[in-house]
Amino acid sequence: MPRTEKARTSRKTQALLSRVGETRVVSLSLLGLGIIVLVFSIICTSSILGFTGLGLTFWGALLLYITPSKHVQLELLNAMVTPALANIEKIMNTFNLREEGIYLPPKYSENLESSLVFIPSKDGQALPKPEDIDEENLYRENPNGILLTPPGIALAKLFEKTLGKSFKTTDLNYVQKNLPKLLIEDMQIAEDVNLKKENNTITMEMMNHTFTEICQETRKSRKAYTAVGCPLSSAIAIVLTQALRKPVTIEKSRLSADARTIETQYRIIEE
Amino acid sequence: MQLPLSFWDLSLWLAVTAIILLVTLELTSPHYGTTNLLIQRKRLRNVALIISLLFLITVVIHVYNVIITL
Repeated sequence: MPRTEKARTSRKTQALLSRVGETRVVSLSLLGLGIIVLVFSIICTSSILGFTGLGLTFWGALLLYITPSKHVQLELLNAMVTPALANIEKIMNTFNLREEGIYLPPKYSENLESSLVFIPSKDGQALPKPEDIDEENLYRENPNGILLTPPGIALAKLFEKTLGKSFKTTDLNYVQKNLPKLLIEDMQIAEDVNLKKENNTITMEMMNHTFTEICQETRKSRKAYTAVGCPLSSAIAIVLTQALRKPVTIEKSRLSADARTIETQYRIIEE
Repeated sequence: MQLPLSFWDLSLWLAVTAIILLVTLELTSPHYGTTNLLIQRKRLRNVALIISLLFLITVVIHVYNVIITL
């Protein structure tokens, strides 16, 4: 075979491997080999071949079944998330805003799927009335401030999809019981999650979560980070505001010295 | 021509496979810090539980056979 044709065949094989995926190739090989061995075991009436064939077929099929179809590297996710916060920072700079964002409960949005965060122009300013909210507009006067779609909205929706229940129909007890399980076992986002309520403050402690890098990166947009938090804290704020049906604000977010544990405090605002 | 594995053989195979799967599931738990393993744990858990259940069914059948032959 000429060298150019050999190189072309090798490139084709590599392209095929990358498209099908190495794990998939191994799984299919195991499955195929297992079936062949099983057939031979029937022909030769050998129980050793029978066990071997059954094992190979089972593990091949299992590997195919438990391998995720697609995955995205965390670095890619980092690269995609940070510009959104940078844009919020720019908007805040344009309108000269520096206050904490207030996550508004479901009654403030007509669309059941949406959620809003209100960033007031000055501290202690009253919240807008639910009937005065225009979701299409960014800026509003009286009370002065901006209405944004929070950066964690898609993540909060993903939580709901995984749980199979809307947080609007739940309460804080449900969230306290199910959110840690969701984040640890179902979504494998964190190693440990603690959620406790004291008076008007809800503290969420998360150990070694996969969003650590993203949250550290978003800290660079200081104003936006203070106002709406990183995508994960934002998603939790949406969950809390929907379950409590009260406005919630991210009061404080603290990273431990070893950068493994993040503690976020949410304050419930009484209307 | 027939499969050279008896009911008892299959029961043994199910038991060994169930143990391997359940131990794997426990060791890959995010509670022990394994949060970057690219597998669908929910599916693995379902398979492990189904295999364990199948083994338990074979045990029940064995017990039933022992009782009716008494």
